[in-house]
Amino acid sequence: MTALPATSDAGRDRVPVGRSIRLVVILAILAGLAWYTVQKLGIDQATEQLVNALTRGAIYALIALGYTMVYGIIELINFAHGDMFMMGSFVSLTFLGTILGLNGAINDIVPLIGLLILAFIVAMGVMGVVGVTIERLAYRPLRNAPRLAPLITAIGVSFILQNIVQLRYGPFQTNSPKIFPDTWFIQLGGARIPVLSIFIIAVAIALMIGLQLFIGRTRLGRAMRATAADRDAASLMGVNINRTIAITFLIGSALAGAAGVVNGLQYGVARFDDGFQAGLKAFTAAVLGGIGNTMGAALGGFIIGFIEVGSAAFGFTRWGPAIVFGTLVIVLVFRPAGLLGQQLGERA
Amino acid sequence: MKYARVGVALAATAIVLSACSGSSSGGKTIKIGISLPLSGSDLASAGPARDGALLAIKNFTAPAGWTIQTTILDHAVNGVHDPQQGAKDMTTLVSDTQVVGVVGPFNSSVAKVQIPISNEAGLLQCSPANTNPDLTKGDAGLQLRAKNPTKINYIRVATTDDIQGPAVADYAYNTLKLKNIAIIDDTETYGKGIADAFSGEWTKLGGTVVGREGAPKGTTDYTAILTKFAAAKPDGVFYGGVTSTGGGLVRKQMAQANLGTIPYLGGDGIQDQNGTVAGSFINIAGAAAANSFSSVAAIADYPGKADFESKYKAAYNQAAGAYSASGYACAQVILQAITTAAGKGDITREAVRTAGSDPATTFQTVLGPVQFDAVGDTNQKIISLYKVDMTAQGGKGDWIFDSQVNYGTK
Repeated sequence: MTALPATSDAGRDRVPVGRSIRLVVILAILAGLAWYTVQKLGIDQATEQLVNALTRGAIYALIALGYTMVYGIIELINFAHGDMFMMGSFVSLTFLGTILGLNGAINDIVPLIGLLILAFIVAMGVMGVVGVTIERLAYRPLRNAPRLAPLITAIGVSFILQNIVQLRYGPFQTNSPKIFPDTWFIQLGGARIPVLSIFIIAVAIALMIGLQLFIGRTRLGRAMRATAADRDAASLMGVNINRTIAITFLIGSALAGAAGVVNGLQYGVARFDDGFQAGLKAFTAAVLGGIGNTMGAALGGFIIGFIEVGSAAFGFTRWGPAIVFGTLVIVLVFRPAGLLGQQLGERA
Repeated sequence: MKYARVGVALAATAIVLSACSGSSSGGKTIKIGISLPLSGSDLASAGPARDGALLAIKNFTAPAGWTIQTTILDHAVNGVHDPQQGAKDMTTLVSDTQVVGVVGPFNSSVAKVQIPISNEAGLLQCSPANTNPDLTKGDAGLQLRAKNPTKINYIRVATTDDIQGPAVADYAYNTLKLKNIAIIDDTETYGKGIADAFSGEWTKLGGTVVGREGAPKGTTDYTAILTKFAAAKPDGVFYGGVTSTGGGLVRKQMAQANLGTIPYLGGDGIQDQNGTVAGSFINIAGAAAANSFSSVAAIADYPGKADFESKYKAAYNQAAGAYSASGYACAQVILQAITTAAGKGDITREAVRTAGSDPATTFQTVLGPVQFDAVGDTNQKIISLYKVDMTAQGGKGDWIFDSQVNYGTK
């Protein structure tokens, strides 16, 4: 994939004028959409829906990062990744609900922050370990097998994870303690912005920035980029391939765990097959942004959040998925490599 | 899912075995099928219906020379009722020539695909819970029984949503004094149907519908829809659908949209077991379930209530659910039809169907005397209304009977 000549970078250098025109057109369309939204919904609801869209987009983006990282480094579409997110929700609800016995909201800020940090550490830690284990047991033995073998294995892993959770929790919605008070709001003019949404968006953005810094600035990040660019060459240069790939899975799965915690706080339930829908959307987000590209995955996640919330806000809830996948088709027709191109190989 | 199915199969086998050993009469065997969603969120409401039906069959004395067995099929797939699986199960029951009657299904979307199959085979089917009017009435009903339009084989002891929906609307308007309602449905046969019926009556009463949305099962995020509703300042939200397709989730997320304190109304779809039962509406919504109201398309204060509930408690060591008596009544109707058929000679599928769907017969059931009209609908047009009491079940919450309205007399 990294050798594709059709990546956007090549085009960018040749026609900078075309690029800036395109940028102006895109900004004009976005401004038009924003203007229409405010006209249609009123500024207050438009602001609230904007926050809803960012919140949902943040969760998709966190999951999409895992897809894109794994694809970037071993070109595997890890179909079990959506289920890692689902398991993350269950780890979080088990920790908060069953182990700590929490049920309702925690209204004191200090214990709340402490519990949230603990929940993130536990869910991200457990899921990171699960991710590395799956990579070791299911994907590493197939690393040099034909492409289809690990793909099918990933689907198998997805079923295994779903069934483990179903056996343990049963096939219904399980309560996830909403420890973050949903009565906290910030009044912004006539709009009420839930503090929880701001928290979720902040956590997601912090994790994404952290990931960018890690990939761009650290030795391990450089090893990841090298492995993605050319595994054999990286190996000859002394990069420990197995360890690098394991770390990729560790980070991707930990991010899915974080998305699981956030999901539980926001929606208050988890179900063993939540991973399917969420995984599909996040995968779409990754492809939309340019699979293999971490910035693209984040962008794609937010775009899908906006499309879904937008269609609900304008009264086309049922059309949400159709618009999401329709957008994907249109984007892929004009930019087969996704919005930002597949660039993990070059720049991560 | 596999495990759940194996479990059900084992349970069914165990019941069949015990039925065999229990009756010494021997002779010819007939079977009663039970086709319900029996795993996942649907178990909370459909399980009690199954147990009610089994209790009726256990208490029944088979006509001399006959043995009655039970076949239980679960059409919940991945924890939610699945019409496709329901159709497969009905085909299984139809192809077993010993099956003379079926109790089920629970959800109207499943009934919609089962009725054409059972109608073609002329197999008597009694639903304890289906409420969608289009299953029996008018052209839609005729279409479902296209093979044998005049041979009624589908009957039900629950009354229809064209009565249930308006009953909830009456209650919301006259008792709760609400004026502006936002409506959300799960886009299924039952959910959309009851929401439409509610909406129609609501406007007729003089109330305003400030928002109407549909979100299919599998939706986890309702915040966008609820934010939209909140902008229209409703004083109540009506949900058309069942718990497993989102009934509890909507209630739970209303607080985020600043709608947490207004009443939440629904039909029998959200009226399942108490807050201690995993997957029930109150369990999923948690503390947010307070101030919720629901209806059941069945009589709550039925004549034999105290006696039935003590028998049920003795048999299963748990309290009867909202549909236990309905399941019991359905089995009673089929059993009485079997007795009638036996009295006239042979117990055949056709004889049982004729006896069970005869509009002239009054069936003595636990719900009281029941007659079925020319399309198979019950003459008991009674709706019971319930509200959530979060102090019940040690703070976990339960549905408390509020009132019942008889629309048969209106």
